[in-house]
Amino acid sequence: MKRFKSMMIGALTAVLAVTAVGCSSSSEPEQQVLNIYSWADNFDLDVIKDFEQKYNVKVNYDVYGSNEEMLAKIQAGASGYDLIQPSDYMVATMIQLGLLEELNKENIPNMKNIVSTFKTPPFDKENKYSLVYTWGITGIAYNKKYVKETPTSWNDLWNEAYKGRVIMLNDPREVMGMALIKNGFSNSTTNKDELAKSFADLKKVLPSVMAFDTDNIKQKMIAEEAWIGTVWSGDAAIINGQNPDVEYVIPKEGATIWADTLAIPKGAKHKDLAEKFINYLMEPEVSVKNYESIGYSNPNEQAYPLHSEEYRANKMIFLDKADIARAEWLVDVGDTLQEYDRYWTEMKSGR
Amino acid sequence: MLNKKPVKLLAAPALLWMGVLFVLPMLMIALMSFLKRGTYGQVVYEFTLNNYVRIWDPLYGQIFADTLVVAILTTVLSIVCGYPLAYYISRLEKSSQQIWLLLVMIPFWINFLVRSYAWVIILRSQGVVNTILQSLGIITEPLPLLYNSGSVLLGMVYTLLPFMVLPIYVSLEQMDRRKLEAAYDLGATPWRAFWHVTLPMTKTGVVTGSILVFVSSIGMFVVPDVMGGAKSALIGNVIQNQFLSARDWPFGSALSIVLMLLSMLLILLYFRAVKAGEAKEGAA
Amino acid sequence: MKTWRRHTLSGYSWLMLVFLYLPIAILVLYSFNDSRINATWNGFTWKWYVSLFDNRQVMQALMNSLSIGVISSVLATVLGTAASLAIKHYSLRWRNVVNGLIYLPIVIPEIMMGLALLVLFSQVHMELGKWTLIMAHVTFSMPYVMVIVSARLADMGKELEEAAQDLGATPWGTLRHVTLPLIMPGIVAGFLMSFTLSLDDFIISFFVAGPNSTTLPLYIYGLVKRGVSPEVNALSTLLIASTVLLVIIAELFRRKDSKNGQIHF
Repeated sequence: MKRFKSMMIGALTAVLAVTAVGCSSSSEPEQQVLNIYSWADNFDLDVIKDFEQKYNVKVNYDVYGSNEEMLAKIQAGASGYDLIQPSDYMVATMIQLGLLEELNKENIPNMKNIVSTFKTPPFDKENKYSLVYTWGITGIAYNKKYVKETPTSWNDLWNEAYKGRVIMLNDPREVMGMALIKNGFSNSTTNKDELAKSFADLKKVLPSVMAFDTDNIKQKMIAEEAWIGTVWSGDAAIINGQNPDVEYVIPKEGATIWADTLAIPKGAKHKDLAEKFINYLMEPEVSVKNYESIGYSNPNEQAYPLHSEEYRANKMIFLDKADIARAEWLVDVGDTLQEYDRYWTEMKSGR
Repeated sequence: MLNKKPVKLLAAPALLWMGVLFVLPMLMIALMSFLKRGTYGQVVYEFTLNNYVRIWDPLYGQIFADTLVVAILTTVLSIVCGYPLAYYISRLEKSSQQIWLLLVMIPFWINFLVRSYAWVIILRSQGVVNTILQSLGIITEPLPLLYNSGSVLLGMVYTLLPFMVLPIYVSLEQMDRRKLEAAYDLGATPWRAFWHVTLPMTKTGVVTGSILVFVSSIGMFVVPDVMGGAKSALIGNVIQNQFLSARDWPFGSALSIVLMLLSMLLILLYFRAVKAGEAKEGAA
Repeated sequence: MKTWRRHTLSGYSWLMLVFLYLPIAILVLYSFNDSRINATWNGFTWKWYVSLFDNRQVMQALMNSLSIGVISSVLATVLGTAASLAIKHYSLRWRNVVNGLIYLPIVIPEIMMGLALLVLFSQVHMELGKWTLIMAHVTFSMPYVMVIVSARLADMGKELEEAAQDLGATPWGTLRHVTLPLIMPGIVAGFLMSFTLSLDDFIISFFVAGPNSTTLPLYIYGLVKRGVSPEVNALSTLLIASTVLLVIIAELFRRKDSKNGQIHF
């Protein structure tokens, strides 16, 4: 017992000593600090390092796992962040709740580089508060070893042959949105009959579903646990890189398009620095380096000719213009969200 | 006989701490459960009972019931797995006891998600178990070991086992061995001695462990997601969804309050049952 | 007959240990996997161990986790043990009330507690960071310490304490030299439990963390969207290996110290 105690005390002192060292070395008052709050792996770390060196600043990069988690932190105030990356519908919500600062466009001359499709997104029509950073479309990924006929429609997920091998995103809006689009409605409907009809349809595919998963959908497709499912285009590109048997298609009925943006939360302490960073990210050369590293779609038109052949040839990153035209953004549905949640819970009650 | 005042005061710092950092937040939750959700998911300061009315939907009753079944099964399985282990540890030499305790705890210092993903690698259709069975020719098609209620239970027991082992070990460790020896001297079989002497004397540990496991499993939501494929929601998932997708904090608070009241009621009933059993034993 | 039973028991216990370490073995194996996504086995590599030490985010997160874990579990153990000792002397009714209420913080869904603490901290304008994390961790782990220590105290006879006081020991003296040593296994178990809880907590930590106070679970959870990096497996492996090594060294020292120590392994 004595030895155990002294061991504990030893470990304690060691850790405290290390903490003390860690604390003292991280406080350098001279430098300006940029606090980023974003998705994990959403920047090339070398790009951040280059930015730190070029402007002699320090960048803190913290991560969240969902828009709603980020919203809760920002809503409570006192979060201390200067730059956040809300997704499309969340931008609209945050604007409504008055949680975003207007961007000073004079500080971001490079915003002209953004491709015209994303200069007027429906969630922030004049790019007053946000700029599109990465984007993609939720389509069907399938493993051609098991799925012999190339899927063309969402209806192919309902095919009995894939029973127990279908995977879907673990997200009520994405899944309900898919069922709505399949039945010819808007993915953000507030019409109760349309919802009820699509839900009845969705229930029929349930016995085929192996799992609902957002975080590990890539692993499940790569390891061939799942044969077919709803997957984001950027994820499909990553899956295809690891398992070339997995292909990706955007169904004929249309699909949901999404984007993660760059925005500044209300009351940010280093707004100018955040804008400087946004502008830096939109330098064509910087953005090439950044996007080739993170592997998602780049909205920067000036950078397209500079990208590698491989990146440009990838159809899951450079999506077809016609497919983009058919895709629909998710819009905040206000109070109807309760209905979506009720259906989602019912679907998962196993009855 | 002696002045116990100063000893009684030892609770003051802890009570003060919990008063500020626990009771205060609790009151806020209770308050929030009577407020309204705004159109954009903000909390509107307007009194309503609607959140509690919504819980009457049989859908939520069903999920509460499912959750209870899973929690009870998890608790029973944890006792089956944990008691013999704790018993074995308490029988070892003192210093070996410390080492075994640490060995039992160390896996839980590794991040929960990382451990769960490791289980997925073991159990999935192309996973370790299926590959071994297939190469041995025992099965031809991979067994569906994941994404069902069995794998959820496995994940629950794996996650909560230390909550059972530690309290049982603590009470076994201080058990008075002489009573056991006396039972043997009186000719009791080992099984009878265990049932009538050891088990009653370690009851506190079993009760404490059961409550810790039960209460923790009732709010669990990551295990059903990762090991169960997120197909059948427990009440923890429903509550989680109110914050992370429906953005309905008041309804989430109301569900939490009901969950807490229900758990407290069950703990109370459990204590009663244990007491009644004790009285019966005393009478016999 | 007796040895047969003992063998069954030890066999069962070792089996349980295998159950506990099976996933750990897999994650150790996959820390050598040459694939960023870690879905299938692609071949052997050391590179994750090399890149781990270059990854300042991971190292910073590890330091944060360890320091917060140690400080909060020490605080929780001290406060919780003190409270349990005091509550033992309360009248039966108050003891029952406290014993019931003690489970409340454990019952409350973590996300609720996290949100409520976030709102509380922001109301009093407390800057989110390491200290708010420590405060939150103490709050959720103290009840576990109290539950375990109280269970130990409840089973403990009064004889020794009374004997000490009959011999003229002061209440503090009795506490220090009689009660505390007797309940030490309970205190150790409580400490282990709260350290473990702190090291693994994600949800509550998420809400009360601020810039530059990311803990390891927060870092790992953030990774899941893009796939948990094998660096995390490498880190877990090193963590396990160093703890086990520490335990073995301590055990070797102990065996050298005690001449007639029985070997039980």
